[in-house]
Amino acid sequence: MTDAPRPSPVPAPEDPTWSEIVWGQFRKRKVAYGSMWGVVGLFVVAVYAPLFIAEKPFLWNAGDGWSSPWLATIFDRTVYPSGIDLFFNALLVFGTLLAIPLAWMWRRTAPLPRRPRGLVRRRWLTGALLAWFLSLAGALAADLQRGEVYYEELEARLEKDGTPPTAVWPMVRISPRNTDVTATMAPPSGKHWLGTDSAGRDVFARLLYGTRVSLTVGIFAVAIYCTFGTVVGAVAGFFGGRVDALLMRIVEVVICIPSLFLVLAVAAFIPKRSIFHIMLIIAVVAWTGPARLVRAEFLRLRELDFVASARAAGFSKAQIIFEEILPNAIGPVLVSATFGVASAILVESTMSFLGLGDASVPSWGQILATGRATSSWVLILAPGFAIFVTVSLLNLLGEGARDALDPKLRS
Amino acid sequence: MLQYAVKRTLWMFPTFFLITMVVFTLINLAPGNPGGAEAEQQGGTTTSDAVRLFKQQFDLDKPILLNTRWALTRGDVRERIVVAHRLEGRAPTPAQLIAAKDALADDGNYLVQHLVGLLAEDPAPEIRALAADYLTRSASLPFVSERIGDPTAARDENRTRGAYNEAFKGWRCADGDAACLSDVTGKWQAWWEKERPRYEYTAGEKAWAFLFDTRFANYWWKLLHLDLGVSPNTRIPVLDTLLSKMKYSVSLSLTAVVLAYLIAVPLGVYSAVRSGSRSDTVLTIGLFVLYSLPTFFTGTVLLKLFADGDPLTWFPVGGFQSDAKELPVTTLGYLADVTWHVTLPILTSTSVALAALSRYARSGVIDVIRADYIRTARAKGLEEPIVIVKHAVRNGMIPILTLLGGFLPVLVSGSVVIEVVFTIPGMGSYLVDSINGRDYNAVMAVLLASAILTLVGILISDLSYALVDPRINLD
Repeated sequence: MTDAPRPSPVPAPEDPTWSEIVWGQFRKRKVAYGSMWGVVGLFVVAVYAPLFIAEKPFLWNAGDGWSSPWLATIFDRTVYPSGIDLFFNALLVFGTLLAIPLAWMWRRTAPLPRRPRGLVRRRWLTGALLAWFLSLAGALAADLQRGEVYYEELEARLEKDGTPPTAVWPMVRISPRNTDVTATMAPPSGKHWLGTDSAGRDVFARLLYGTRVSLTVGIFAVAIYCTFGTVVGAVAGFFGGRVDALLMRIVEVVICIPSLFLVLAVAAFIPKRSIFHIMLIIAVVAWTGPARLVRAEFLRLRELDFVASARAAGFSKAQIIFEEILPNAIGPVLVSATFGVASAILVESTMSFLGLGDASVPSWGQILATGRATSSWVLILAPGFAIFVTVSLLNLLGEGARDALDPKLRS
Repeated sequence: MLQYAVKRTLWMFPTFFLITMVVFTLINLAPGNPGGAEAEQQGGTTTSDAVRLFKQQFDLDKPILLNTRWALTRGDVRERIVVAHRLEGRAPTPAQLIAAKDALADDGNYLVQHLVGLLAEDPAPEIRALAADYLTRSASLPFVSERIGDPTAARDENRTRGAYNEAFKGWRCADGDAACLSDVTGKWQAWWEKERPRYEYTAGEKAWAFLFDTRFANYWWKLLHLDLGVSPNTRIPVLDTLLSKMKYSVSLSLTAVVLAYLIAVPLGVYSAVRSGSRSDTVLTIGLFVLYSLPTFFTGTVLLKLFADGDPLTWFPVGGFQSDAKELPVTTLGYLADVTWHVTLPILTSTSVALAALSRYARSGVIDVIRADYIRTARAKGLEEPIVIVKHAVRNGMIPILTLLGGFLPVLVSGSVVIEVVFTIPGMGSYLVDSINGRDYNAVMAVLLASAILTLVGILISDLSYALVDPRINLD
């Protein structure tokens, strides 16, 4: 008999987890991997839009000391009236601040074994999310209102008086909402990079801030209906029998409802519709997709051994559904969610194009509708290109993710 | 197979019923006042007679799905009067005020017994006066529809009811004038003795009212008589308009779908056979681009390029045909005129369908082309074209063939966006116009037509799948 093997000082390499395999497969698909970075880029544009385009200077000194009107108005409802903008500005300020310690922690925990690493990272992420929400709530509760000074006019006046202020401005000094009635339908120029629309609003600014609207609609609508659909599908697939039959009947009914028509009709009958109504309406008709996917996965998975062992170990039904089976069934939902974001963005821009969107936020479809009404090439091509790029990137990302999840295509 | 088809067809009826229920509820629940435009014209008072008649005519005074108005008590009714008229020092919010007024106007006959009670017994004279005032409206009989059953009988019935309603129009007092009040109370008491059974509900009547005295039940009752209602704006029956709009949408979409299939299938097969080659890559990228372009963008760009004179004016900017004055008289001329008008819209919708279809066709053939029986076919010496056309394409087309069913609803309802962009007076633009005109009946009609077609389309898909693919056994 030989000696028992001594524990080696170097830990054995861990077997890759399912998500690591899928990630490896995904990285091999260059186009999809590039599209993922493209989508990340869109997010960066959405979050950091006020760094390029804002109407207040970053720094201002008119002889009475330095101030930062840009930062002071970043949560000001008179400057950013839409909730979407406040949300993204919170990402811009607090998100950037929180990202620094998170990145540091990520680096520090990289050499740890999987289990403690996951635990630490999850804890930090939860903490960061909580801190972010608290900051957002604090910023909203403070209800800052300092937007009444128009620095551009002030600067011009001070220059005329011979006491020019020292100011650091964003690249483009304009707000997507301010109208300039003296310059409607202006051609592209140094001040208005893509010209102005029929109300005299800067198209470039609206295009850039429109990224925020499109991404919000896409992601929130999909998050709502995927959550709901997943729960319905999980319950139907896990319990089977009568519950399944009843839920699937409901799904069948909802599938037969002409969704775009219903979306348009319901949206039109809401008197003061906001972008949040539009997300909800999209979600109401679209939840059947993930419900059917998750149900199919559950029907397959619930017969497998690991579920039987979880039952034998005395796990509750909720635990089995959400902690044991769901993580294994979520892949197809994530893929369909990616395509779902693309189609939700298309639905929103179609609604805005038809004049049934939220008129208070800058939306690509609305710019295109102006372009069609005024027959202006810039107003047609610029938003069309933006929609096309966003939708293509998401579709390519989705296709890559689908292939990466498919065991038949593994290389 | 037949058994399956029959079973599926029968299932369509309950499904359709549930669809109408969901769609109807969602549309009616959407906050927004259907009679709003009418009410504004009447000076904003939602209690005016014209608005009340309008609401009655379109069943808008009824609850949507379930009716619990028989369960009201005298206390509820008194409370509403107090709120609606700011009595007893109440200061309701505008929303509460409107809600109370609307409830008093809408509940109609269900209020009568409580109003009579209030008129006779309430201590406050102003409430008694208001009760009498509301009675003159609530006790009046609603008119019956002249569009169901015998119109002459309905007209006669309405004339009788009108005369009946007219009789007690003056039984009310300006204010809490005691002499007038006691006189009016006497009149209503006498009327109540006579009419009592009509307004005191038995359990059966309550159950009937709970389920059937509702907007939805009334809608279905009319639907069973193939009556989709009239448009509140034009007073033209919705069904007539719908049918007249259908011809534009159908001819447009049918051409587009046929064209899309004719182009997509060869394109997909070519791409699949040359899979991995440069021409396949170019085609795949091109179709992907087409697939990601939103319809309204493609349409707008085509319109601008070829119709708006920037740079070309080959085609008209919209419409299905020329104005009556310029319309050619010969059949050939007419066809040429229509073709000239619909080229751009058809191009747009074909390109949209084409992109999706040829992607399906390509992946369908690629899946099949690796199969063993294709290798066998090649091994036994068949020529490549025969292998592709007879063996691969036939099986590879199954998924795209079944998509045909999915095109049925699109076919008839047309694409909203394309019809709006090219100003074609089809069902899509009808829907948008009805939405903007708050024409609930028309919106419901378009939605239901589309739902029926979706149901039939899904059935056709499933059946054709089974017909084409012998491996699928449905029984």
